[in-house]
Amino acid sequence: MLTHPSSSSAPQTSPTVLSRVANLIYWTARYLERAENTARIVDVNAQLVLDLHGQLADNPALWEPLVYVSGGEELYRQHHARSSSERSVIEFMLFDRRNPSSVISCICTARENARCIRDQLASELWEELNTFYLALKDDDFAKYSRTGASEYLGVIKTRIQQFCGVAEAMVPRNAMWWFFELGRFLERADNTSRILDVKYFMLLPKANAVGSALDMIQWASVLRSCSGLEAFRKSRRGQLNLERVVDYLLRDPVFPRSIVFSVREAGRALAAIDADAPNHPGKPAAALLSRLETSLAKGEISDIIIEGLHEHLDDIQLRIAEVHEAVQNAYIRYPTA
Amino acid sequence: MADLFDSYDPAGFFDEMFAASGQPRPHYRRLSERFVRMSGVSELLDRQTLADQTFLRRGVTFTVYSDDRGTEKIFPFDLIPRIIPPAEWQHLERGLKQRMLALNAFLADIYGPQRILKEKLVPSELVHTSKHFRPEMVGTPVPRKLYVHINGVDLIRDPQGVYRVLEDNLRTPSGVSYVLENRQVMKRVFPNLIRDYGVRPVETYPSDLLATLLHLAPDGVADPTVVLLTPGVYNSAYFEHSFLARQMGIEIVEGSDLVVENDRVYMRRVHGLSPVHVIYRRIDDDFLDPTVFRRDSLLGVPGLVGAFRKGNVALCNPIGTGVADDKAMYPYVPSMIRFYLSEEPILPNVETFLSSEAKDRGYILEHLPHLVVKSVNEAGGYGMLVGPHSTKEQIEEFRRKIVAQPRNFIAQPTIGLSRCPSLCDGQISPRHVDLRPYVLNGETVRIVPGGLTRVALRKGSLVVNSSQGGGSKDTWVLAESAATEAAQTQPAVTEQLLV
Repeated sequence: MLTHPSSSSAPQTSPTVLSRVANLIYWTARYLERAENTARIVDVNAQLVLDLHGQLADNPALWEPLVYVSGGEELYRQHHARSSSERSVIEFMLFDRRNPSSVISCICTARENARCIRDQLASELWEELNTFYLALKDDDFAKYSRTGASEYLGVIKTRIQQFCGVAEAMVPRNAMWWFFELGRFLERADNTSRILDVKYFMLLPKANAVGSALDMIQWASVLRSCSGLEAFRKSRRGQLNLERVVDYLLRDPVFPRSIVFSVREAGRALAAIDADAPNHPGKPAAALLSRLETSLAKGEISDIIIEGLHEHLDDIQLRIAEVHEAVQNAYIRYPTA
Repeated sequence: MADLFDSYDPAGFFDEMFAASGQPRPHYRRLSERFVRMSGVSELLDRQTLADQTFLRRGVTFTVYSDDRGTEKIFPFDLIPRIIPPAEWQHLERGLKQRMLALNAFLADIYGPQRILKEKLVPSELVHTSKHFRPEMVGTPVPRKLYVHINGVDLIRDPQGVYRVLEDNLRTPSGVSYVLENRQVMKRVFPNLIRDYGVRPVETYPSDLLATLLHLAPDGVADPTVVLLTPGVYNSAYFEHSFLARQMGIEIVEGSDLVVENDRVYMRRVHGLSPVHVIYRRIDDDFLDPTVFRRDSLLGVPGLVGAFRKGNVALCNPIGTGVADDKAMYPYVPSMIRFYLSEEPILPNVETFLSSEAKDRGYILEHLPHLVVKSVNEAGGYGMLVGPHSTKEQIEEFRRKIVAQPRNFIAQPTIGLSRCPSLCDGQISPRHVDLRPYVLNGETVRIVPGGLTRVALRKGSLVVNSSQGGGSKDTWVLAESAATEAAQTQPAVTEQLLV
């Protein structure tokens, strides 16, 4: 009763999944991962603001970086040209259906995708996502402030992780699963690079404040948004500073939200997809991924920072987008006679 | 004894549960006793809430796209089951099989020798003017000589309790998923009652349907692949499409998933194309293949009709089946039964007037306030006039339409459909019901016991369609053994044949 053609009276079908279905599960994973990371970013910023005092705490510039890193700046400006505030940013990031990357849009799209392939999903999985959406669909800023940022966003993160947990326990390890993993880790690699980039836009009271208490607090927040602060401490890298945090989120080989880890997992998923079809031209995507992995290990972190971390992260995002294109061309939109 | 049915008045129509006020029919006695033990209507309402929540959580919904969010509604479900005793069901089963065989024989004839037209038992004119007749299919063989694979027959019971056929739905009728889901929910809500009653299971439908589809596969294919072709997730019946595909363990595909190369059909998988042999299509003929039918169709598959004509892929239903469920063809089904099977019809039709026939048209126009007028090409309760419930303006509008396009309308006397107790506005009241069994035609004819009982939840309404405020009930066909006491006291059903 789980997934995929398996009923005993059903004819044996070819083991691989329909292109459209693969694409839908891939995007479902991407949207869920994106929603989770958006919740994480908002959560961390809300915590961060608590540590600031006085005028600075009310400064809209404290919130706007979230919009920049999510890539939704243009859209945000269209709707909030005049005034910007904590509220307008949070509404845009969490509840605005006009923003395709807002949490509500992501969950809505993920659910619509899952609905299209519910014949292929375990009933538990669909119901998990369906009840999540139904619980979320009428939420607004008022509910958010009433509940409290950390409580509210905590629930969102938990629900998404719960979905992934159910998926992990129920989905057979066929192509469906590996496209889910591929989407999840490509999105995570992209999102982690954006979270790292948030600091680029963050306000520091003065240029010489690098290394100050506030600077430390901010780096701790960046790590915390990836649930990485405790893991970082345990990795015995010493005191928090810019280089160490960047190194950790870019290159840590065992931390599951680091970019290199995510890229490697995406590569593993791609290899699994092609395991039964050694001659299949999924190779360009795999080659791009492995080149990205190699380049992530190259160079001193201090040099990268001097040359421009923001540009470096932009480049990573661009290369992830190329992998995405290569995946689409190989498995989804390939030409027929 | 204060009970839930104290204020229930069964008079005026045939009542499924009560022979007379306070006197439940034998097969309803157990249910009536069970309800008496309830702690009033509030217990029933609690169970109704449980049922509604279950439907919502399982996503058994249809979507109303009147706003950009897409409001999701559940197809209203009524807790009080419609119960059918064994003898009644056997009678229905025989009648439904007979009708299926006659309709298939009719289509084989129409797309073959056309004997029935030559004998002038059915007017040629009527066939040739039918919107769903496909002249290009004449002489084209179809797999196993089967032209109709599924008939969702709409049955009603008249004031005397006689079951009559109201219409046939031969082109992949919808609703069967509710039959299965309703039963799942009832098992949660009334587990003991279902067991005690010996209700016959309906869960075999998906495997029966799959067997019907596999039977159509081209010869020589060892391991045929069956798919369900859907118009997509925005179709109101999408839930059913994905439900059936999942239950059968087959792929659900959209037109863009299919490719035709060298008159063979393939689906696009991540590692390349793989062959398809049988398509259970839930889209109309018009949209199947933009190179043959509607050019603007984005739902279909270019080249599909060619592959079908070559016999490389089977379609359920094949092309052109709709000529037999054209509402203007319906009055001729009894003649078809006599002509092809040399039998008398077991299930009677409802008296029907064709406005294309001059003498019928005169009668129709004179009696509009008493008739139900239906457009021959519409379904779902649309394009319909219920004379007694209509305003003068509505009646006059139909009069003009009928005069302008007589071929497009039929009329039937307004029949007081049987009623069944239903939970409405916090109390149990009688509401009109019909019954749609699903008849499968493959190697043999198979019918899952019961079908979809639709109920007009609006007070006094005779229209049971979901688009018109209708809901549904679980339908319980009782097993022979469990209902012997009921069967013994049941009047002989053969008397229905006399009508």
